[in-house]
Amino acid sequence: MSVAVHGEVHGGGVADHIHPEPQTFVRKYIFSIDHKIIGIQYIITSFVFMGLGGLLAELIRVQLMHHSGALVNPDTYNELYSIHGSTMVWLVIIPLLTGGFGNFVFPLQIGARDVAFPWLNMVSFWIFPPAGLMLYSSFLMGAPVAGWTEYPPMSLQGAAGTSMWAAAIFLIGVSSTMTGINFLVTLLKMRAPGMTFTRMPLFCWAQFATAPLLMIATTALGAALAALFIERQFGVPFFDPTKGGSPVLWQHMFWFYSHPAVYIMILPAFGMISEILPTFARKPIFGYKMIAFSSVAIALLGFMVWAHHMFTSGLAPWLQLPFMILTFFIAIPTGIKIFSWLTTLWGGKIQFSTAMLFAVGFIATFTFGGITGVFLAAVPFDLHAHGTYFIVAHLHYVLVGGSLMAILGGVHFWYPKMSGRMMNETLGKWTFWLFFIGFNGTFIPMHWLGLLGMPRRVATYDPQFQTWNIVATAFSFVMTAALLLFFINALYSLRNGRKAGPNPWNARTLEWQIPSPPPYYNFKHVPAVFAAPYDFAEPLPYRGLEGELDPSVPAPVPAGH
Amino acid sequence: MALASSSYPVAGAQTHGEVDRLYAETRDLRLNGFLLFMVSDLVLFSSFIFAYLYLRNSGQGWPPPGINRLDVAFAAFNSVVLFGSGTTMHFALENWKHGHFMKYANWLIATIVLGVTFLGGQGYEYYTLMARLHHTWSGSGIFGASFFTLTGMHGLHVFAGVCFLTVLLMQSVMGKYTPQKYFGLTAGTLYWHFVDVIWVLLFSIFYLI
Ligand SMILES: [Cu+2]
Repeated sequence: MSVAVHGEVHGGGVADHIHPEPQTFVRKYIFSIDHKIIGIQYIITSFVFMGLGGLLAELIRVQLMHHSGALVNPDTYNELYSIHGSTMVWLVIIPLLTGGFGNFVFPLQIGARDVAFPWLNMVSFWIFPPAGLMLYSSFLMGAPVAGWTEYPPMSLQGAAGTSMWAAAIFLIGVSSTMTGINFLVTLLKMRAPGMTFTRMPLFCWAQFATAPLLMIATTALGAALAALFIERQFGVPFFDPTKGGSPVLWQHMFWFYSHPAVYIMILPAFGMISEILPTFARKPIFGYKMIAFSSVAIALLGFMVWAHHMFTSGLAPWLQLPFMILTFFIAIPTGIKIFSWLTTLWGGKIQFSTAMLFAVGFIATFTFGGITGVFLAAVPFDLHAHGTYFIVAHLHYVLVGGSLMAILGGVHFWYPKMSGRMMNETLGKWTFWLFFIGFNGTFIPMHWLGLLGMPRRVATYDPQFQTWNIVATAFSFVMTAALLLFFINALYSLRNGRKAGPNPWNARTLEWQIPSPPPYYNFKHVPAVFAAPYDFAEPLPYRGLEGELDPSVPAPVPAGH
Repeated sequence: MALASSSYPVAGAQTHGEVDRLYAETRDLRLNGFLLFMVSDLVLFSSFIFAYLYLRNSGQGWPPPGINRLDVAFAAFNSVVLFGSGTTMHFALENWKHGHFMKYANWLIATIVLGVTFLGGQGYEYYTLMARLHHTWSGSGIFGASFFTLTGMHGLHVFAGVCFLTVLLMQSVMGKYTPQKYFGLTAGTLYWHFVDVIWVLLFSIFYLI
C-alpha cells in the first residue's frame, strides 16, 4: 500500500482545495459554486428552453399542414423558425452537453473536487438564463426573420429584435468561452494522481476536444455578432453591399464559428455514447485510443471546413475543391468511432436499459445523418439540395437523432447519480420507442421533399408536397408525446423513483464509486488511478476509495479557510 | 505499488514549504486560465482583422475614395510611447521580485502615465480623422468599420489595462502582494505585453501595408 491511499493525494493545481459546506439555501442551490449543482442548473434551464423551442417547432409543423399555411402569416412564420433554431442550438443542445453534463460528470470522472475556477463557473451559468430571456424578448420588438444563421442583407433589414438576438447570442458566447477555459484548465491540471491522458474516461476526452472549440469558435462568433450589432445600431458598414460591405463576409465569419459549433454539439454526445455502450454491453470499449484521438482529429479538422456551407455563395471553384475534400476527411474519424462502437456491441451481453436503447438508437440515426452529410459535402449534390428540405432533414438527423438522442440516453444514465433515484424503466422504454418512431416519421419524409425541390424557410408551398407534410406533422406529435412522457418520468421519479444506491449500473468510472447524489466535496480522499476504466474482467483500477461509502469516515475538512 | 507511474506529487505534510508549493501551483492554475483568456481575446481581434483584410481586398481600392492616407509619422510616435510602456512595466515587475518597492512603484506609475499618453494620442488622431469625415463613425464607410472598430477595441483594451494597473498599484500599496506571491502583477504584466503585441499587428496592417 502506498502513502497515497490514506494520505491526502494531491492532483495538481488546487484539486484538493475543499470548499466549506454551503450553509444557506441560496448558496447551496441558487448561487452555488459547486460544479454538480451548476451542471443540474444548466440541465433544468436548458430543458425549460427546450419546451419553448419545441412549442415553436410544433407551431411550424401545424403551419405546414396545409400548403397555403394553416396558422400564421409569412412574417410571423419567419420569426418562428428563426427563434426555434436559435433556441435549440444555443439554449438547448450546447448548454446541455457542455455546461450541463460536462459540468456534472467530467470533474467527478477525473477525481477532482471541482472545476479549476468554481466562481467563474457560477458566473458562466448566471449569464445564460438572462440571455435566453433576452432572446425571447425579441418577440416583443419584432423577432429576427433570417433564420438561425441571420444572413445579411435580410438580417440588416429585420426589426429591432434582430439586434436583441445578436446581443443575447453574444452573451451566451461569452458564457461558453468562460466555460471552455474553465474546462480546459480543469482537464489539463486537476486529474487525480495516476490519471494520465490515456486513462481518462472517453467522456472526458470528448470534453477535452470540445473545450478549445468553445473557447476559440464562440469568440469568433462573438466578433461576427458584434459586427452585425454595430452595423445595425450605428450604421457602420461591414455587410451591406450598397455601402461597400460584403454579405459573404458574414457567411465566412459565421461559419468559421458555426461549423466547429456543430462539433460542440456532437463530440460530447459521442463521449456519452462511449460511456453508455460498454457499461451495458459489459465489454471493454473497442479501440479506446482511436475513439479518444478521433475526437481531437474531428475538432482540428472542424476548423478547416467552414466554407462547405457556402458552395452556392459565389466561392471560387478552386476554393470549393479543398473544402469539399477536407469535409470528406471528417467522415474518417467519425466512421472510426461508429466502427468502434459497433465492435464494442459485438458479442457483448447486452442489457437493453432505456439508456442503452437511446445509445443504440443514436448509432442508427446518427450514422444515417452522417451519410446524408457526406452527400451534401459533394459540391455537385449540394448545388441541387442547398436551401431545400433535404438540409432540414440532414441537420435534424444529426442534432435530434444524434445529439438529443444521446442527451436523453445520458439523462437516463446519469439521473440516478444526480438525484439518488432511478427513473421508471417502463416509462423510459415508452419514451424511447415513441421518440424513435416519431422522430424518423417526422424527418424521413423531408429527405424526399427536399430532393423534389421543396424549399426550406417558406410559410406556404406547392400543393404537390402536401401529403408528406401532413405525415411529418402527424409524427411530430408522436415525438412531442415522447418528450412529455420523458418530463413526466423525470419529475415523477424525483420523489417516487426507487433508491439508486451508488452504482446501479455497475459502471466503472469514478463517479459511480461515490454516493448518489455525491456530497459537496465529491471524494473524501482523492483516489489514485492505475488504468483506463473499461476493462470489465479486471477489478476496479483505483486506490483510496475504501472510505467513500462508509458513513463513519468523516468528511474532509476545508483547509486554509 | 506503482504510484511511481503517476507524474503527480503527493502532498501530505502541512509544513511551511508544502503550503508554499501548493500556492505556487494555485498560481500556476490561474496563469493557465489567464493565458487561455488571452488566446480567446486574440481570436476576437483576428476575426475583425480578417474582416478588415477581406473588405480591403474586395476590389474598391484602399484607402476607399474620399479617405486620405493615415498619418504614419504621428502613429509611429504614439507606438513608441506604447512600446516604451511595455519596457517600463517589465522593469516594474523585476523590481518587485527583488523587493525594491519604491523603484517598482515609480516604474509602474511611469507605465500608467505612458498608457494614458497613448490614449490621448489616439484621441487626437481620431479627432483629426473625424473632422475630415464630418464627425461620424458610420459616415466613414468600410474604412471606419475596420479602422475605428479595431483600433477602438484596442483602445478599450489599453483603457482597461490602465485601470487594471492602477488597481494593482493600490493593492500593492495596501500590502496584498509579497515578493514571493504576486500573481496579480504577473497577470497585469502579461496583459500589458499582450496589448502591445496587438498594437504591433494593428500598426502593421493599417499604417505599413
Ligand atoms: Cu459545416
